[in-house]
Formats: sequence, C-alpha cells, structure tokens
Amino acid sequence: MPKLSPCWGQNATKTRQGKAEPSARGSRSRPAALRRRQGARGRAAAAMWGRVPPAWGCGAGRAARFSLLFLAGRPRSKFQKLFSTTSVLSTEKDKSTTSPGSTTEVASKSPDGAAETPKQKLLNIIGNMKVEVTSKKKFQQLKTHAIKKQDTEKQEGLDSKSSTFQEAAEDTQRSKPLNRELVEAVSAVASSLPRSKEQTESELLAQLRRHEENTDKQRRGGAINIRNVISEMSIKRQSPARRGVMISNRISLAMEEDGQRTKPERLSSHSFDSRSLREGKRLNIFTKASPETESALKTVSSPTIWDLEFAKEIAAVTDQPPRNGFEEMIQWTKEGILWEFPIDNEAGMDDDAEFHEHIFLEKHLKDFPKEGPIRHFMELVICGLSKNPYLSVKQKIEHIEWFQKYFEEKEELLQEM
Amino acid sequence: MAAAALRWVLRAARQVLPSPCTRQVRSYFVDWRMLRDVKRRKLAYEHADKRLRINAIRKNTILPRELQEVADKEIAALPRDSCPVRIRNRCVLTSRPRGVKRRWRLSRIIFRHFADHAQMSGIQRAMW
Repeated sequence: MPKLSPCWGQNATKTRQGKAEPSARGSRSRPAALRRRQGARGRAAAAMWGRVPPAWGCGAGRAARFSLLFLAGRPRSKFQKLFSTTSVLSTEKDKSTTSPGSTTEVASKSPDGAAETPKQKLLNIIGNMKVEVTSKKKFQQLKTHAIKKQDTEKQEGLDSKSSTFQEAAEDTQRSKPLNRELVEAVSAVASSLPRSKEQTESELLAQLRRHEENTDKQRRGGAINIRNVISEMSIKRQSPARRGVMISNRISLAMEEDGQRTKPERLSSHSFDSRSLREGKRLNIFTKASPETESALKTVSSPTIWDLEFAKEIAAVTDQPPRNGFEEMIQWTKEGILWEFPIDNEAGMDDDAEFHEHIFLEKHLKDFPKEGPIRHFMELVICGLSKNPYLSVKQKIEHIEWFQKYFEEKEELLQEM
Repeated sequence: MAAAALRWVLRAARQVLPSPCTRQVRSYFVDWRMLRDVKRRKLAYEHADKRLRINAIRKNTILPRELQEVADKEIAALPRDSCPVRIRNRCVLTSRPRGVKRRWRLSRIIFRHFADHAQMSGIQRAMW
C-alpha cells in the first residue's frame, strides 16, 4: 500500500532558484488585488464627495464672523462671488442687503443637515478656514488693486452698509479736524465721479476720519477695536494657511487618540510661531565646506586595504539579517534575485529604437558592392536580422560592420578569383 | 602552471557577498572538471559572435568556395574551448554530469533530497 509521505506543500511563489519563471499565482492573484485597491480608492473618493456639501453649509455659520471683518471696507460685488455668507450678515446687522435667497437656504440647512460629532464640526470649520485662504489671496489681490485705484475702490467700499453703520456710530466723536488738502481732494473726487456728489463726499470724509482715529488710537496705545484693525490689516500669504493646517492636524491627532494620552507628533520643522526657521538673521555658526577642501579630499589615493576592511566591518555591522519576510524580499529585489512587480516585460532592455530601425537595414549596405554574390549574401543577412527580435539595433549594426571589415580584408582574394 | 591555475581559481571563486546571508555559500568549485566547464563557458561566450559570423560564411551556397575554405581555416584557429558543444550541463552542487534537470540545474539525487525537505518551491510529491 503506498504510504503518503509528508507533503511539502506549496511554498511561497517566489522561488530561491534565481530567475525562475514567475509561477502561476494562487488566489492572491494580481487582478483580485487590483480590484480590491480600486475599491478602496473608489470608496475614498465617494466619501470625499459626500463630505463637501455639508461642510460648506455647516461652516458657513461659524465662519460668518470672519467674513464680516473682510466685508468692512471691501467691495461687495466681488465679495458676493467669493463668499456666500451675506445672509448671516444681514441677520447680524438688521439690515437686509442684497442677500441671495440661495445662501439663506444654505445657512438654514446647516443646523439641520448634520448630526455630526463635535469633532467633525470643528474639522469642518477648520477645513473651511483653509477654503478661506483662497478668498484671502483674492482679497490681497484686491488690496493691491485698491492701492492702484484708490478712489474707485473707496467709492465702492463705502456703498456697503457696514461702513455707513460705523460711520453713524462714530459720527459724534470728531475730536480732530481733517486736513484741508484731504478735504479738498475729497470734494474734487466727488465732483469727478458720476454719483451724487454730497453722498460721496460725506462717505469719503467718514472713511478718512476713521482712518485718522485708528492711527490716533494706535499711537496712544489704547484699547484696540479688533474689527477696525483687522479690516485694514494686510493679509499675509502663508501663515493663516499654515496655522489652519497645523491646528487642524493638531486637533485631528489629539481627537483621534482620545483613549490614549500620547502627545501628537511634532510636525515638520515649521514652528507654530509666525516666524519660520528660514527667516531671520544668519548666525554664521556653521560654515559651508569650501570647494577647495572638497577637491583636496577627492585627490586622496585609492583606499588602502585597511580602509576596505573598515568599510567591510561597517557593512557587516549595519547590514543586519532581515527581520521578516518583507525585508528579505526587499533585499532580494535589490540584489536582483527577485523581479520587480508588476512584471515589466522589458526590464533590463533599454532598446529605444523604433521598429523601422530594426527592419529597414538596407541603409547599412551602402559600402557593399551593388552586385554579385556578396551583395546577395548580405541581403540574406539583413533579412535574417530584421526578423530577429532578440537583438538590439546596435548589435545588428555590429554584425553588418564585421562583415564589411571581413570582406574588405578578403578583397585581394576575391580579386584573384 | 598549476600554481597559476590555482591562483586563477581562487580569484574566480572568491565571491564576497555584501551582506551576511543565511543562504548556502559556495566559495569553491566542487572539482576540477567543474572548473574546466566554467572556463569553457566563458570562452564560448567571448567567441560566440565570431563563431556565428564565420559559420554564416561557411554554411553558404552563394559565396565562392574559396572564401568558405578560408573561413574554415579561421574557425579552426579559434581556441578549442570556445565552441559551445564542449559545454556540459553539470549539476551545480555536485558536478554530476548525468541525470541533471535543466530547470533546476541539479542532479536527480540532490533534487530529491531538497524536495523531500520541502526546500524546492512548488514541488510536491506526485500522486494520482
């Protein structure tokens, strides 16, 4: 009775036999794996798309306050395109401006829509803060625009009700009279523009007065009205984005480790202050290696035996044996024992030549006689080479050139015949 | 002569592997016959193209016979070990000339030994 000896079973498909053909894979086949990967990607994409609409609506409410500050003194028309929080503004200010109906709906949807965790809400807010960056950039552009066209900008800015509201509040306080020249300029501008002269004049004057007050307050060092300050603050390009990103990362990390009390990892070299590592004065503590010393090092003679031995020692210490199968496979791939996946049929083959260079080799037959047995022979050679897919174009040309040399050497013989 | 050959052998055989590997390390040829086979393979590789081209001239009905005779003499002048016919596919571990399976380059005895110890990937005892 035949006894069944212990089966060896199927080991891993990667053999130790060097470049043995990649045997048929099992159930962990590539198509299945690819499908799985695509599925994950698809799910992620779907999740992303699903997230966006609620975030927009939810973040609108909280971000409204920030929007307010930017509204003050900024052209409303452009702002409307960028931001959809005018509805919230109106509720705050008690003045119904041109609030598009759609935005109100969006704002109202926000409390209803998401039964989200506070964490997600926060993340959404901070995510929106990132969105605001683009609008901030546009604001910066607008501001540069404003510097060029000051008068027209002021004109449009003063149309906003917020400024008039502020003007009404500060109407009573007018300690310092404005500069005469400025007043004259204001009147000249007002007259030049097509709108109602008096209104424009008054609005421009109010703007000037506000500006003066702010400067006075700053000089005195009094209580700073943040609204005014931020409305005229210049927008730094990167720091808010960075801050937002870092804060969001911080919060997300902290939130994710609710059970554990591990500190969130320090992010890259960016500090959380406004300054980065690359700004500031150079301390000149570390000096760059001058190119002279580098060249001097290179001119040292070839390494001695002791250097080689030392290098071998270091290699022996550092190259520890692989801890697991993955590291082993990595090592094998580096050595060339294991092929790289997905299999590239042209791995190691660097033939960049087109097909016509392989097939049409008659141009290399220029130096041969045009008639006779040799030509016949060479044409057969070319026919064979053109059908050979295993040689590179260089090798084929080398063959033809060898024949050419050979027949040149044998010319005397041939002439005797 | 022998000393030179020995030196050549040692130089050829010293395979300094960069990493401390746990694989089987062979730092010598199993026997002299294996060494000779290795030499033949190297020479055959070097002269392969030349031999191919000269043979293309020889095995021809188009070129004149004189040319072919000259080619005959030329190919005979090449070293004897450069012809591929002299290569013998020996077992890689034992240098056994017969009973060698090409796919694994092992003789049948070694193959069986490894297969029994489950060290041959994808090899299973046949049973049907």
